[in-house]
Amino acid sequence: MHSKASLILGAGIMLLSGAAVIIAMDWPWKAALFPIVIGIPVFCMATAEVIWGLLDPAARSEAMDFQLSAQLPQKIATRRTLLAVAWMLGFLAAIVLLGFPLTVALLVFVFVKFQGREGWVTSGIFTIVVWAFFYAIFDRLLHLPFPAGWIQTWVGLA
Amino acid sequence: MIDALLEGLLLVLQWKAFAFMLLGIGIGFWVGLLPGLGGITTLALMLPFVYAMQPVEGFAFLLGMHSVVATTGDITSVLFGIPGEGTTAATILDGHAMAKKGEAGRALGAALASSLVGALVGAAALALAIPVVRPLVLAFGSPELFMIAIVGIAFIASLSAQGGRGMLRGFLAGGVGLLVATVGQDPQAGVSRFTFDSLYLWSGLDLVPVLIGIFAIPEIIDLVVRGTSIAGDMPKGRLNQGALEGVKDTFRHFWLTIRCSLIGTFIGIMPGLGGAVAQWLAYGHATQSARSAEERQGFGRGDVRGVLGPGAANNSKEGGALIPTVAFGVPGSSSMAILLGGFFLLGLVPGPDMLTTHLAVTFSMVWTIVVANIITVVVCFLFLNHLARLTLVRGHFLIPVILVLIFIGSYSSNNHYGDLLLMLTFGALGYLMVAGGWPRAPFVLGLVLGKIAENYLYISVARYEADWLYRPIVLVLIALAIAVMLYPLIQARRIRSRSVKHA
Repeated sequence: MHSKASLILGAGIMLLSGAAVIIAMDWPWKAALFPIVIGIPVFCMATAEVIWGLLDPAARSEAMDFQLSAQLPQKIATRRTLLAVAWMLGFLAAIVLLGFPLTVALLVFVFVKFQGREGWVTSGIFTIVVWAFFYAIFDRLLHLPFPAGWIQTWVGLA
Repeated sequence: MIDALLEGLLLVLQWKAFAFMLLGIGIGFWVGLLPGLGGITTLALMLPFVYAMQPVEGFAFLLGMHSVVATTGDITSVLFGIPGEGTTAATILDGHAMAKKGEAGRALGAALASSLVGALVGAAALALAIPVVRPLVLAFGSPELFMIAIVGIAFIASLSAQGGRGMLRGFLAGGVGLLVATVGQDPQAGVSRFTFDSLYLWSGLDLVPVLIGIFAIPEIIDLVVRGTSIAGDMPKGRLNQGALEGVKDTFRHFWLTIRCSLIGTFIGIMPGLGGAVAQWLAYGHATQSARSAEERQGFGRGDVRGVLGPGAANNSKEGGALIPTVAFGVPGSSSMAILLGGFFLLGLVPGPDMLTTHLAVTFSMVWTIVVANIITVVVCFLFLNHLARLTLVRGHFLIPVILVLIFIGSYSSNNHYGDLLLMLTFGALGYLMVAGGWPRAPFVLGLVLGKIAENYLYISVARYEADWLYRPIVLVLIALAIAVMLYPLIQARRIRSRSVKHA
């Protein structure tokens, strides 16, 4: 996982920085100066990182940063990671389709009920509390402009 | 001078000014806690309300609000791994790691105590430095400011990972941050760079969704994977005992806290660099305090020094940033630019008058920073144990709430769905970086400094061509950058030879 993620990152940066330098060459020098000055060393360093990774895939370099938990078997960790990503993408899709207010209630309830396997009453009460907090702070107090979801717009409720 | 100092204190303690300060503190407290809702935006929103106030009341309100935002922002960063403010992201690295080890109370205690020390140092710097700071600010032109940005990135890149390969990744991450900062319309020629015909990208990448994505998403994924609370299966007792330990840590590492406060103050004085830079430089300096490779490996995994450094710096920078704002009318940061607007609304002109005729008002600002921070820290300590217990809430209750906060926090940056996509995209990048063992700090510093560095580089080249490289302070800063890059390698070699000798 460690070396695979690193290789994906290195190769991705190599491609993107190379493309960025080529694109920047068509711009006036005022606009191109910085992307080129930075892009070329980034490309060289990314190439070095990829070559290093290919020649010595077992080498590890720990960053002074947060580490992912490694207690669980890889298979379970991968399944749960994909589940977390699915929740986030689902939340995004629901926001676009239903708008923020409805989605907040829906996400909280569905997550607590089905992912957390809590009872109907607990899930319901928790959802009401979170939604009331969301509504009071972001809608009533801060007046954040939450657009209606696409579905409400199509149906004509917005 | 002493008379003006005392008069400044009495002005702040007048009931009306004090009441406005408490109101400001109350607003700043919540703004700091809520991710995405920035102190700068709130400062701008509150500016019109000072019209009807006297100068001391207006500054008590605005500064009272602004100076506590970073303090409470640290709380969100420590407890949930989401940056409460852009200026509190560095606290996540070790603060949240401590929370996961069941040491949330200790991390919060350290963050709050170091914030208070930082605020006091910043305020003292403001009080003492006004007469002597003029030559310092005037000696730093665009070439020197560009080099400070480069030294900053070199500093954090070389210190945020182990060994030669770690250093390569650190510099690579910093370079990518600088490159990503070029997205948007360039300020010199007006060319749309890497925008792919998207209007949303014209103004560049907003820092808030990027920071939320890169720090919060990997944490949330990890929380889902673990299926436990943030603190896992840690015993409850440890949380409650830690706060005082965190305060003691601040005094155990007192000189580190002071040094990081001074770094914050210095960065605050330098126009354009801002608090987001100060916290990372302070974090880099904190990691430098490790005496061995093993000790350095502890950073990012819950070393309290990684909390003390950024905690002190992001509060001390306020006093520092006020120095050029008050003395020359040159704002040290975006928030100070807004505060400068407050000066004019209140009928004050920054400059020599603030050091002579209105000296008592200037000192009232110093006292506002001091008093507001003391009140906030005392209030926070009263609730600290309750706050720390949030890390014991089961994951499936916490995750949907955090998801709601990060989605709304990101969305509120521009009120655009693009903010959400940006947050998730950088969340994916953050996850890959964490999974691959790449440091995220250099990337964030590169992103923060990118626009500033580009601007200074362009002005330097346009004004001096290649001659800017030979300016004395630039040469000193180049030497410093090289020394910063070589330091970890020399230190590693020294440790190796020492262990060979012992063997």
